Amino acid sequence: MSSPLSGAKDALAGFGEMGRFSGRVVGQVLTLRVLRFLGEALRQCGVLIVSSTVVIWGLVFVIGLQCGLEGAYFTRSIGSPAYAGVFAAWCDLRELVPYAFGYMMAAKVGTGIVAELGSMRISDEIDALEVMGFDSVLFLCATRLLAAWLVLPFMYVASIGAGFFASYLAVVEQVGDVSSGGYLLIFWMFQNPPDLLYSLIKAMAMATLIVLVGCYYGYHAGGGPVGVGTATAKSMVVNLIIVHIIGMLGTQLFWGANPRAPIGG
Amino acid sequence: MVRTVSNRVFDPAKSALEEIGDMMILTGKTLVSAVRPPYSYGDEFVHQFLFALRLCWFPLLISTVAFGFGAPGLQAANFLVLFGSLDRLGGFFVLASIREFAPFVTAVVLAGVAGTAITADLGARKIREELDALQVLGIDPIKSLVVPRFLALMIVTGLFDVYALLFGIFGGVVATLANGAPLGPFWATFFSNASVTDLWGSFLKCTLFGAIIAVVCCYKGMTAKGGAEGVGRAVNQAVVIAFMGVFAFNYVFTQTLLATNPEMLVIK
Repeated sequence: MSSPLSGAKDALAGFGEMGRFSGRVVGQVLTLRVLRFLGEALRQCGVLIVSSTVVIWGLVFVIGLQCGLEGAYFTRSIGSPAYAGVFAAWCDLRELVPYAFGYMMAAKVGTGIVAELGSMRISDEIDALEVMGFDSVLFLCATRLLAAWLVLPFMYVASIGAGFFASYLAVVEQVGDVSSGGYLLIFWMFQNPPDLLYSLIKAMAMATLIVLVGCYYGYHAGGGPVGVGTATAKSMVVNLIIVHIIGMLGTQLFWGANPRAPIGG
Repeated sequence: MVRTVSNRVFDPAKSALEEIGDMMILTGKTLVSAVRPPYSYGDEFVHQFLFALRLCWFPLLISTVAFGFGAPGLQAANFLVLFGSLDRLGGFFVLASIREFAPFVTAVVLAGVAGTAITADLGARKIREELDALQVLGIDPIKSLVVPRFLALMIVTGLFDVYALLFGIFGGVVATLANGAPLGPFWATFFSNASVTDLWGSFLKCTLFGAIIAVVCCYKGMTAKGGAEGVGRAVNQAVVIAFMGVFAFNYVFTQTLLATNPEMLVIK
């Protein structure tokens, strides 16, 4: 009788711990205390750019192909293949590019942070930092969050480009029911700069939370090599739920009351 | 000079190709081992099946309802309301949910939740040299560890597709109700557009996603090396490779299905 209740209590307690830890990291970045370790933050930027960019663009590219493909066949079936651009524009910019970015961020960057910090914790490197008088949360977590905020907006906008290019390839070059000019006319007509901004906000919210969850699970890993693996797997569960919830809330918030489409008066 | 540059370019490509080849070999060995008697993996199979079920049902529930309500639900409903044809949302959900997002959200959640757990488990055993100990005892690790995980993950992913369909469509129902529209027209267009081809295509696709995830995660777990950091890195690489494999396969499969079954594209 008591076990489901205590399970819920533990989950809630863990959630509170995570919130407190995240608040501390965000506070350290916003109060600019993190600038004491600007060099480390820039190094983390470099790591992020070199190791994660290509993989994230790759996944977004494949999903862009998928959007274009579904759009081309769907608009063919309702007899208006010239309007494949509507489907591709909404599918890419508003929904699936943020999702794909979130999935790959969670898989590549989030679990990477857990594995790295977790193994530092296991081999007592974090304790060593504390002994030497470093603030370990500031040095390890806040620098990573600052690096993510510096690099990811640019990486995300470029990945939208990869998605658009892939949709163009699928609709115009592969299925080929619509001319290049006809596709692009409709495609650009059904999006506008605020849409890009909203999409960016959605993706950055996902990325921030993914980095924070990764730092929390890595920093608090325990129990030897097995513990690091388990912490990595657990962080992935939390990240997936976060990505989907933010995707839904973002859509509801930004487009729920106003479709922002050039139709009607 | 030329040699170092060419090594820098070709070595990663070579090791990636070797890794893909190793995964193919592991797939072949697993399939052969699964059909050849003795069938000693029954208990482990049931155990792994229940393990995946217990781990995934809740994340998958939240993910599919959120995805179904947000992406196809709200956006498509917005578009259709402009034309006063919200009843068509049901027909759109056949495309969106059955054909597309139920399989891939299932695959993402299974790879992220069950796949990572399998890699972490096998990786820890590899690091503690339990796999070598099994071989010394004369027990084949592929038959005793990989085959039950492969079969369990494949079947559980296929079955979870149905679960994801139900909750994804529930997201669409919520979106319809949020627009203040009756549900009758939603179900009418949904069932008149749904076809058996769509359903088996979705089911088959999802089952094959499960096979990809299982092979990648087992391979990465069994080849983990380098202590604590090694297990974490193996999980990281496993989930990245599984995502890329699943989405690349999704593209090829969907293209083939849509191009070879034109009758499922007709809107009724």
